[in-house]
Amino acid sequence: MVLNLGQDFHFSPFFHLLSYKLAGRKEFMAFIEYFLIVFSFLVLVSIAIAKFSDNLGLPSLVLFIAIGMLAGSEGVLGIPFDNAETAQSIGLVALVFILFSGGLETKWSAVKDVAKEAVIISTIGVLVTALLVGLFLKFVFGFNFQQGLLLGAVVSSTDAAAVFSVLRTRSLSLKGKVNSLLELESGSNDPMAVFLTLGLIELINFPKTGIINIALTFLLQMGLGGLFGYFFGKLMALILNKLKLRHDGIYPVFSLAYACFIYGFTALLGGSGFLAVYIAGITAGTENFIQKKSLLRFFDGLAWLSQIVMFLALGLLVFPSRLLGVFTIGMGLSLFLMFIARPAAVFLSLSFSPFKWNEKAFISWVGLKGAVPIILATFPLLAHIPNADLIFSIVFFVVLSSVMVQGWSLSPVAKFLRVDKPLPKKKNYPIEYEPVEGTDTELIDLFVPFNADVAGKTIVELGLPKDCLITMINRDENFLVPSGGSVLEEGDIVLILVNKDNLAKIKSIFAKEKGK
Amino acid sequence: MKISEILTQEFIIPGMQSSSKDDAILELLNLFKGDPRVKDIELVQNAVLERESIMSTGVGKGFAIPHAKTNAISDIIVAFGKLKEPIDFKSLDEQPVSFIFLLVGMESSVGPHIKLLSRISRMMNKDEFREGLLNSSTAEEIYNLFLEEEKNYLEIN
Repeated sequence: MVLNLGQDFHFSPFFHLLSYKLAGRKEFMAFIEYFLIVFSFLVLVSIAIAKFSDNLGLPSLVLFIAIGMLAGSEGVLGIPFDNAETAQSIGLVALVFILFSGGLETKWSAVKDVAKEAVIISTIGVLVTALLVGLFLKFVFGFNFQQGLLLGAVVSSTDAAAVFSVLRTRSLSLKGKVNSLLELESGSNDPMAVFLTLGLIELINFPKTGIINIALTFLLQMGLGGLFGYFFGKLMALILNKLKLRHDGIYPVFSLAYACFIYGFTALLGGSGFLAVYIAGITAGTENFIQKKSLLRFFDGLAWLSQIVMFLALGLLVFPSRLLGVFTIGMGLSLFLMFIARPAAVFLSLSFSPFKWNEKAFISWVGLKGAVPIILATFPLLAHIPNADLIFSIVFFVVLSSVMVQGWSLSPVAKFLRVDKPLPKKKNYPIEYEPVEGTDTELIDLFVPFNADVAGKTIVELGLPKDCLITMINRDENFLVPSGGSVLEEGDIVLILVNKDNLAKIKSIFAKEKGK
Repeated sequence: MKISEILTQEFIIPGMQSSSKDDAILELLNLFKGDPRVKDIELVQNAVLERESIMSTGVGKGFAIPHAKTNAISDIIVAFGKLKEPIDFKSLDEQPVSFIFLLVGMESSVGPHIKLLSRISRMMNKDEFREGLLNSSTAEEIYNLFLEEEKNYLEIN
């Protein structure tokens, strides 16, 4: 994905100087060397800055974009990167990984209660936002209504990663449902925003398309996206459990290719690839499969890399001077979104929900924009929609201002509206075990099932995986400290320290019936 | 403390209608709504479902014991249900489940929680006890079975 930076990646005088000194090698080799130096330099700086931003309580994405802008044509490194197509490709691929990772980490049991609300807010809510923005731009700034609507669609999706990173650094968490809704909304409104943007571009370029066609496409996109997502998510857990690969390192490779396949396959058949990837992530996340923990960590890392690369690319793409040119419209639109469009969309979408007014107010305030609007803003550019340049700059401005203003004020607003709570306390057991960073071990209580094969066996006979340990047995309400020779009985409760990767193995040991 | 002291007849459903695992758990959790011991029913529900996602609590012999510890309650709370039609509970022995005992304890009192789990398992492991449950059709009959069975057991504290 990065190597096709190709021809448009010209080097500034600074880099020419470097290449001159190293002259004599083949040009291509030189290109790779410089590319890797610049690439790694930007990523490393981004990581250093991300650490710093934790203390500022500012979403790191602002800083990544800032680094991109600094490295860009108007910044100190002067890399003249203006290829919207490349930036868009990077963005779309990155989004696939971000959504898949986000899906995997979503706890379905916690969010399924708000699934209905999330669907409403990410369909009707997005539509209402786009409409209001369209009207606002038409009547206040004299935009053509269709272009205004397009801009509205582009800025309608929200980014929860930003929200949670800010809250976590302040040791705050949100009360039950608000948390779940924001999380689910931010993942599910991206496909809607993508669809709406592409649909409107289609309408502007081919006015004959007709609303009905668009509506049918919508049903097809979401239907197929949802269906394939669910199917491939289930299938993933199944395959991973049957695969029995010899090398642990191949599991991430498999999953990476698998996630890409889900997107490609669904999109090819006319479904929403993003929705499919997100739902596949959620579905797979509810299942237990081997290597789950390490895969989660792998995708978490991949999502970080995706974010950094994506924001760098988008930062490179923008011309900061043009942002100043759209200050009035950008500021006007930002304020309109924060105080009118988003609240209207939220309160309307949630009018039949059990959410209280303060929760709705907070959800309204968390209309943080992320990368998706900027990626979407490259679509009009490439489709040669009139004023696409202007739209791109405005969107960029709106995203930055939303993240700065709302991002910074999240914690105080959460406290003010009383939707915050302290981070959860750790659990207590007769034996204390505090999970440490770097271990995947958990202390869980397990029942020795009736008719279990393990009943009547000594602990050493169980064939437990290496990194797991039975620490206590409760039998007839008495706690026993086991040794290797202790015999398990039906109905015993065992407290067992277990590596999460081995959970499936333990499960199969305990689930085995006598005589089978 | 005994099970028969925590479990009251209002928290026994003799003919549960649910046809799926999640529905059945929710049907029992529904009894907790509005109970003064419950501070936040959603947190309770999340805790139970999360534990269930680690490994099914369908432990065989047609019995399941969904349970969790949470700070969202102020005292131990339990419910018992007998299903009209046995349901798939993703049990370890893959047999359908007819009885569900739901137990929610406090984070701060782990010992009693585990002992209660242990006692329930001990009772449910008895063939005569399960037989009795199968043949009873009202909350009162079921409650009396628990009361009778537990007479010979010690206090849990």
